Amino acid sequence: MSALVLGIIAAITYGSRAASLALLPRAGARFEAILARMPAPIFAGLATATLVTGDRALVDGPILWAALGALLLSPTRSLLFCLIGGAAGYALGTLAGG
Amino acid sequence: MKATSTRSILATCLPAAAAILVFGTLYGAAARAIMGVPLTLASSLLIFSGALQFALLALLSAGATMLPLVLIAVVLNLRHLVLGAVLRPRLEGSRLRRAALAFFLVDETFGFAVAAGHAAERAGVPAGAAIERTFLISGVICYLAWLVGTLIGVLGVGLAGVERVAGAIFPVLFIGLASLAVTRRSHAVRALAAALLTAGIAFALPDLRGLAPVVAAVLVALPGGER
Repeated sequence: MSALVLGIIAAITYGSRAASLALLPRAGARFEAILARMPAPIFAGLATATLVTGDRALVDGPILWAALGALLLSPTRSLLFCLIGGAAGYALGTLAGG
Repeated sequence: MKATSTRSILATCLPAAAAILVFGTLYGAAARAIMGVPLTLASSLLIFSGALQFALLALLSAGATMLPLVLIAVVLNLRHLVLGAVLRPRLEGSRLRRAALAFFLVDETFGFAVAAGHAAERAGVPAGAAIERTFLISGVICYLAWLVGTLIGVLGVGLAGVERVAGAIFPVLFIGLASLAVTRRSHAVRALAAALLTAGIAFALPDLRGLAPVVAAVLVALPGGER
């Protein structure tokens, strides 16, 4: 990869970030109502995407256990408790041999 | 402790930063052999996107030319448009300030900023300032973690043993952030639907895994009504 290609890709990346955050006008009320409903689904989708590999398989057992531990404590609506649940799940998964 | 004190922001984002550092190290070690030291460091300095940079590495190692590299950048960066659109109404700063902050828009910082906004609303304090402060601090920390990780990797320090542990941070983090973002029953239903849809897309079209969460979120957010 040349420095030119790297520069183009960096520009595309920053442009995509700045476009909606700084350059485009603020969305209308109806569109903002839709956007306001998106954070939870985005995070749930991101969590799911991190559990699937590029080979159409699930990640290793301890990571699944960690996700399960976090999920079990998610009703507490506390990031700290979710991290604790994840750590406990990971430890259990590792002890159980994955 | 205030919900948006520097200490609380650090406590929230440091686990993710540690994981980012580990992945930065893996990236640096892998990229050095393919791109050379200067371009490897420059890529992390200028792009700051783990998903994109690893995808570029995979393409480069397969002998890709300029066009596929640019195309993958366009496709994987599409999600920034949605993340930015969600965050835009929550930021109060000037256009110039938002343009400067935009560099730090990655999945993790987006999550921390939105969660800080929800926490501020619950505490009855203005959300805009909390969101901007959290976005900036978490952005700088995650960026530094990515840069330092890349540098460590380039220097040849191996952290492969902790890769699996680091890999567990992200699903746990995003589950926690999802739980913070759920303020109504309908949010939980939409989150569950998005998770299932993302899994379906990721299994059916693994190359679009990076875009799947945003596509799924858009689809489940469109139907109206809140309960």
